[in-house]
Amino acid sequence: MFPADCKYTKNHEFVKPLGDGTALVGITNYAQEALGDVVFVDLPEVGAKFAAGDEFGTVESVKTVSECYMPAAGEVVELNADLEAHPEYVNEDPVAKGWMIKIRLDGALNPELLDAAAYEAHVASESH
Amino acid sequence: MTTAKKQTPLFDWHKAHGANIVEFGDYLMPVWYASARNEHLAVVSQAGLFDTSHMATLRVFGKDAYDLLQWCFTRNLDACVGKDNAPLADGKCVYGLFLDEHGHAIDDSLVYKIKDGEYMVEVNASMGGPVARHLAEQAKGRDVKVVDLTDKLGKIDIQGPASVKTMAKLLKNPEVVFDKLPYFSAKGHFDPESTLAGQVQLLDGTPLLLSRSGYTGEVGFELFVERAQTVKVWEMIMAAGQEFGLTACGLAARDSLRTGAVLPLSHQDIGHWPCINNPWPFALPFNAAGAGFTKKFLGSEALEKEAPGAAWTLTFVGHDLRKIEAHDAKVYLEGKEIGTVLTCVTDMAIGRHEGRIYSLASPDKPADLVVKGLCCGFIKVGSRLAPGTAVEIKDAKRAIQVVVETDVRPARTARKALKTFM
Repeated sequence: MFPADCKYTKNHEFVKPLGDGTALVGITNYAQEALGDVVFVDLPEVGAKFAAGDEFGTVESVKTVSECYMPAAGEVVELNADLEAHPEYVNEDPVAKGWMIKIRLDGALNPELLDAAAYEAHVASESH
Repeated sequence: MTTAKKQTPLFDWHKAHGANIVEFGDYLMPVWYASARNEHLAVVSQAGLFDTSHMATLRVFGKDAYDLLQWCFTRNLDACVGKDNAPLADGKCVYGLFLDEHGHAIDDSLVYKIKDGEYMVEVNASMGGPVARHLAEQAKGRDVKVVDLTDKLGKIDIQGPASVKTMAKLLKNPEVVFDKLPYFSAKGHFDPESTLAGQVQLLDGTPLLLSRSGYTGEVGFELFVERAQTVKVWEMIMAAGQEFGLTACGLAARDSLRTGAVLPLSHQDIGHWPCINNPWPFALPFNAAGAGFTKKFLGSEALEKEAPGAAWTLTFVGHDLRKIEAHDAKVYLEGKEIGTVLTCVTDMAIGRHEGRIYSLASPDKPADLVVKGLCCGFIKVGSRLAPGTAVEIKDAKRAIQVVVETDVRPARTARKALKTFM
């Protein structure tokens, strides 16, 4: 249910390494389902540098405003420009269409990030 | 100790149709199905169906029922209907409040006159018991009984322009039912034994009380049926409305629609403070001069005394759809804290263009206006602010600029003649 080519945080962000030193970052399918309709995504500037765990943006849903935290350290090299007109892409397909920022990874991924199976188990434990 | 949450007769239907369920009062209720945004837009453009069986219904009857309500309810039952302030006649309903002796709101309510000595009082979820006890305490020797019907009834609201066509498909003699059924009136009865039960029936003979009212600002009906009929009636309406885009709606859309219609949520926008100086003066029996009341009622003396110093509740609208968390949020005027935020939601059907607010339903909406929604709600501040005043509202995460307004979503349909929608 969660793509195997992504790593996940317990706070429901994903990072998808693209193999060229960059990675896509966004929120997981579980997160978008819990939030409901995403109506606005507030993203940082290209060039902004973040440590893992830093807040990089907010996602606003019908229900609430939630912060998004960096699953990995890096510099923002691209924003998903589609989200300004189509924030609902985060609901429709949070990885392929609804990714939020592309970053140049700063070092290796934190080994504490969850793989798809571990994340699925985490989600299952949270929903109890 | 936690108590088991109650379910309406439609709970299994909601679960089977993908509803996100939340606790609301004593109940487990759908907050949205697939999309709260689409549900909100459906009610403005087509129609939406709401399970409102969590609302509480009281029967107040007996020789002195009028007398008790005239004392406890804020509207003057002798002068509250239409522009001419006619008395509350059989088949009419009226919006008002139950206040305590301090003029604080116990709850808001629709009071229906069924006939002389027989009223139906609709209050909020979980408020059936408290309001029934309040009325019984205030009865003081009056010949009147109060019975909580909540668990015996199902209630379904159909709201939006297509609600009229949808119900026309399902009712026996819809043209007779819809004739002389203005906003805030009702026909029929849910009890098959009632002499009124023949007035409004579905094609299969199910009797219902059909009220031309609602909590969205859009044209529509509130339906009261016997509890056992609720699921069947809901499914019949969903099937009949499918061709018109009828959408099942949860509490999130109900909340954003009512805010756009400038309607208060009890215990949030009205509550334990003097219930005056707010966008709802029509809930009180002001005289023509607006300087006093046309009757004495429980809480009226306190309101008359407190009004000059009481806080002001005002309506606001933002500049885009971004909102804040109302809980614990503060209001600032020129950098100075002046009050608190009561409600802050996004009405998805409106947008600003050159300072004016348009709805998707506005006939004169500029062709190039892309409606994305506007944040809106209510603030409570120390003194009155003129419409157009810019203030800042701020929660722990962000601050946004909003404007004090007298209205939110324009071009609402609630008051339009039913024949407009046929």
